[in-house]
This record gives sequence, C-alpha cells and structure tokens, in this order.
Amino acid sequence: MNTDAIIEIKNLVKSFKGSSSPAVNDVSFTISRNEIFGLLGPNGAGKTTTISILCGLFPPTRGHVLIDGKDLNGDLDTIKQIVGVVPQDLALYPTLTARENLSFYGHMYGLSGKTLKDKISMWLDNFGLTEAANRRVSTFSGGMKRRVNLIAGILHSPKILFLDEPTVGVDVQSRNVIIEYLKQLNQTGTTIIYTSHHMDEAEHFCTQVAIIDHGKIIIEGSPKKLISDNAGCENLESVFLKLTNRALRD
Amino acid sequence: MFKKLLAAIKKEALILLRDRVGLAILFLMPMILIFVMTLIQDSAFKTLNEKGIPVLFVDDDKDSLGVDIERGLRKSELCSFHDSINGKPATADIVKQAVADGKFLVGIVVPKGATKAIKKNVAWLVQQTLSVDSVSEKSKHLKFDSVEIAIYIDPITKKSFINSVTSSLHEFISNIKTKIMFRSFSSELDALIPDKKPTPDNVFGQTQIIKYKEEYASKSIGEIVPNAVQHNVPAWTIFAMFFIVLPLAGSMVKEKNEGSIFRLHTMPSSFLILINGKIIVYVFVCLIQFVLMLSVGLVFLPMLGLPTLIMGQSLAGIIIITIATSFAATGYGVMVGTIATTEQQGAIVGSLSILLLSAIGGVWVPTYVMPEVMRNISVVSPLNWSLEGFYDLFLRNGTVSTIIPQAIKLIVFFFITMAVASFVNRMKRKI
Repeated sequence: MNTDAIIEIKNLVKSFKGSSSPAVNDVSFTISRNEIFGLLGPNGAGKTTTISILCGLFPPTRGHVLIDGKDLNGDLDTIKQIVGVVPQDLALYPTLTARENLSFYGHMYGLSGKTLKDKISMWLDNFGLTEAANRRVSTFSGGMKRRVNLIAGILHSPKILFLDEPTVGVDVQSRNVIIEYLKQLNQTGTTIIYTSHHMDEAEHFCTQVAIIDHGKIIIEGSPKKLISDNAGCENLESVFLKLTNRALRD
Repeated sequence: MFKKLLAAIKKEALILLRDRVGLAILFLMPMILIFVMTLIQDSAFKTLNEKGIPVLFVDDDKDSLGVDIERGLRKSELCSFHDSINGKPATADIVKQAVADGKFLVGIVVPKGATKAIKKNVAWLVQQTLSVDSVSEKSKHLKFDSVEIAIYIDPITKKSFINSVTSSLHEFISNIKTKIMFRSFSSELDALIPDKKPTPDNVFGQTQIIKYKEEYASKSIGEIVPNAVQHNVPAWTIFAMFFIVLPLAGSMVKEKNEGSIFRLHTMPSSFLILINGKIIVYVFVCLIQFVLMLSVGLVFLPMLGLPTLIMGQSLAGIIIITIATSFAATGYGVMVGTIATTEQQGAIVGSLSILLLSAIGGVWVPTYVMPEVMRNISVVSPLNWSLEGFYDLFLRNGTVSTIIPQAIKLIVFFFITMAVASFVNRMKRKI
C-alpha cells in the first residue's frame, strides 16, 4: 500500500446489464494526498461511473479500491465520513431556503447545533450568499445554486472531495469564486477529484489529470507534462483532442 | 441518529407545507368529496324515507276499502300522498299518464264498487262454507267476483324497489280487505245465528295477531342507523389517507430526479432515516386528515341538516384502525415512489391504483350493494379492510378486539410494501 496515496484503484471494471462493453474497463490509477486530480474524457467515457463507484453509489463489477487505506467494499460507512460529493445535478430542494438545505445535509453528515450553524454561516458568507440565505433555492440564479450545491458537499470538511462538473452552466464570476475556494480548500488538506469538460479550467486548476475514453485510462500525468509529451500540442485541450480524436460522441 | 431523523422530518414537513397543490389534494379534496357525496346520497335517501314515495291515489269506490286505503296512505311515512294534480282531482286515466310521465313513482286506483264486491264475495264464501238451508235469501243468488285494484309503477324504478313497494301495498290492502271480509262474515253469521251476541265493530282493528319488530343488528346496546354520513365520512377519509400516495410518491421521484437521493446515498446516513422521516410526516398527515374529516361528520354536515356521525363506543378501536390505515397508506406511497421513475408515472399509477382499490373496496358504493363477485374481490383492497374496521366501530358498535384482524392486515400490508420498496431500491442500485 502506498502511504502517500489517498485513493488506489486496481483493475476496476464496471459492466451494466444490457450494455455490450464495460463502462469502466480495467482501470488502475493512484491519487496522492492533497492532489487536485482531474478525470477528463468525452461524454460517455466512464468518468461519472468511476466517480460514482468511488463515492459508494454502486459497487464495481470487479477490481479493488482503497480510499485512505480502507477497502471500499468493506469500510464504506467509514469512507463516507471522510468523503464529500458535489454531484453534477443540483441536488437541492428547490422549495427549501439555502440555509434549510444546508442544515439538512449538514445533519446527514452528522453535524449539528452551533458547529453546524457556524459552518453554514461561514460558507454562505464565503460564497456571497448571506443575503440570500433565507430565500428559497428555486428563486436562485444558476450560479447561486451551484455555489449552494458546492457548500452542501464541503460542510463537514471532508478529506476527499469529489466534484462532478462543478462549474457547468455558471457565469465566469461564479466559476472564479468556485475555483478559488476549491484551491483554498485544497491548501487546507482536502484532496480533490474533479471531472470537467472545461479543458482550460482543468489545465490551470489540476495538479494531475487522467484522460479516460471508452472506459480506459489513456494517459495520466500533470497537465504540463502531458502538453510537453505530446508534440504539437499547445494546451490540454489539444492533447485531449489528439488522444480522443475529433469525432462526435453523442 | 435521532438528530438525523429529526432533520429528515423537518425537511419533509417543510417541503409538504410549501406544496400548496399537495396540501389541497390532501385536505381540501376529501372534505369536498365528503360534502358532495353525502349530500347526493342523503338527498336520494331522504326522497324515499323522509319525504316518502310520491303516490297518486284515486278512490272511485267511495266506500270502506277506498276510505281505509286513503287513510292508511296519508298516515304512512313511506308515502307522500296526492289525490290531485295542479288542483284537479285525479282520475284513473290521469293516474296512469302521470306515472308514465315520471311525475309519480306509484299510482293506485281503487275501482268503483270495490267494497260492495268484497262484501258480495264474503256472502258467497259464507254460503259455500256453511252450505245450510238457513243461509239468508239475499246470499243465494250471489256469485264470486274478483276486486281489481290497479297499481301503476314508474318503469324506471328499480325492480327490487318495486317489489318492496308493491309487497307493502299488497299487505296493507289485504289487511283492509280482510277487515271488510271479517265484518261481512260477522254480519252473515249474526244473521244465521239470531241468539249470537253481535260482534263489536272495532274488534278486528284492535287485534294484531303477529307483530314485527325491525332493528339494525349491532353487537351491543344502542342502535346506530346506517346512513349517507355513516358510510361517506369513513369511506372518503380512508380514500384521502391513501391519496397521500400522490404527494409522497411525487416527492420521492423528485428527489431521485433532482439528484438529492444520489447525494444522500453518498452520505454517512442510513437511507432508512430518510424514509422514516417521510413515514413519520405522512402518518401524521393521515392523522390530521382523519381528525378533519371526523369534524366534517360531527360538526359541518349536521349544519347542513344532515345526520351527525355516530362513532360507536370504542375510542381505542378508532385510534388503532386509524393508525394502521395511516401506516398502510404511507407504505403504499413509499412503494409507488420507489418503483416510479418519473413524476407522471408516480401520479398516474398512484391515482389510478387508489381509484381502483377504492372502487373495489367499497368507498364509492358500499360492498353490501355490490354483486357477489365484486364482494369477493373487495377483500383484496386494503381500503376495504380499513372501511370494514370503521363499519365495525361506527355501525356495529365493535370494540378493539373486533377490529384487530383488520388492523393486523393493514400493518402486514405496510411491512409488505416496505419490503417491496427496499427490494426495488436495492435492485435499482445494483444495476
């Protein structure tokens, strides 16, 4: 076991009933502590399936996953305590206020009382949502909803944070705020695993990336290394297009 | 764990309180249904029992038979007596036409000379029975001649209703006929036996050989009369309780589609906490519904001149069957919400299944007026188990022990629905 690694994945396979090929096909990689790890790939490449398995949403067909030294199959309850998830969908109750949503999710993470109240107030303030805290989420803009969605995943100060396209559909201002706070969170010791279609964002935000396609990891390394290793590529997007080709996927 | 459960309850309650359409479905709709259905059924009930059956009567006899029938009809609570239309005295032809036009349910015509004919028949009977030389001279030339009283009935009237009305009329007319025959027979005998003390004129009227006492059978002291209120209040309350399937299943499907369930599955909380939060809130909603619907039966319906709901004698029984029904309804909602993949699916499956189960279970039409096949099918409906429980308490003066079997069935139903929901949920996550 690699003591520096917070996530170790070996020969991970996930096949869905009725599907001719596995969604995740013999994937192995390691994520070190305090990394910002970008899992990139075109639509249907297997990113969300991999993240879902790591979050304990459904079990793998085959393979082994160790998270902070604990086996995903045996210690799921312990793993859930140290993991935060920010799903791609806005997993919020539209008729509840931002504060009510965060209070509910905070309780589900085992927080309560003054600790929870203080954390909610702090994060709402950090994300510029204090004034809107008692408004129903249904009245929020897309960017505000994304920020509340993010807070709900980090309220309990997780060791590992999974982010599935956290900046999709938000304006530049909201995206900057989100990215800045994620960087700060990473500096306080949170390992971030992130998926995105924004190659530019991933290039500047991630310390390590893996490009997945057809359920397989096709390349892994720091953005800088990937760009330098691929002749003629000036940025991560050109590396991505070179490796996954330009054909439409859906 | 307890704090998590409280948070889940608070979340569910807030969502429900802010869903105005859901609240209207849960509370307003069943109250309106109780008002409407009770008023409709009660007015029909009143037409036949309080105002009485509209009867148009013609007395062409103008003698004992005609007078006695008229007197009897006027006294009867079953009938609303009429002998004229728009101020014009009715005739045999008018009676037939008026009934054919649906203006009256029943028309009766006593023909001219009916009483005389009965008296003549009695004299003939005496002659035939006694066959003695001393039979009075006037009876010797008599012959039997049937008396025909015409009863016209509106053809749209239900067969069973016609039977009950005509048999009552037959019985009533035959009583009068017997009375006349008895008087005639007595006078014939008085003539035959000169030394016999004359029979008092009113002896027949004072003598009732067989008495009938009709009562609704209940299991203890006190008579509770079944009426529109006694049926509709529990029936539509149960319907409303089961109708929580709509908001409950809807909220579950929304949570799935909006991603909340995804997030909750990744949290260190048992999925059971979330479900328990829902169950507690919706069971509480069912209990509030029950109290509100009872208040309709106890307070609001009597204000409209309808009978007051009588709840029997077992408060404990009412509480037990209400709680059991609440759990059964909530369990059903959770099951539908787990199986359905879209809100539309949940709404259609939920509402149609409840409409079907309520129709089968005797909510719309009581099972005792259903054909035997439907009565046998009705026992599969949990709404029927609950309704039978309330009938036991409200109509048959049942106790806790009476409704225990129904309560057990409802609780078992709750556990089955939860087991199905749990199984489906696990299958969906396995993919």
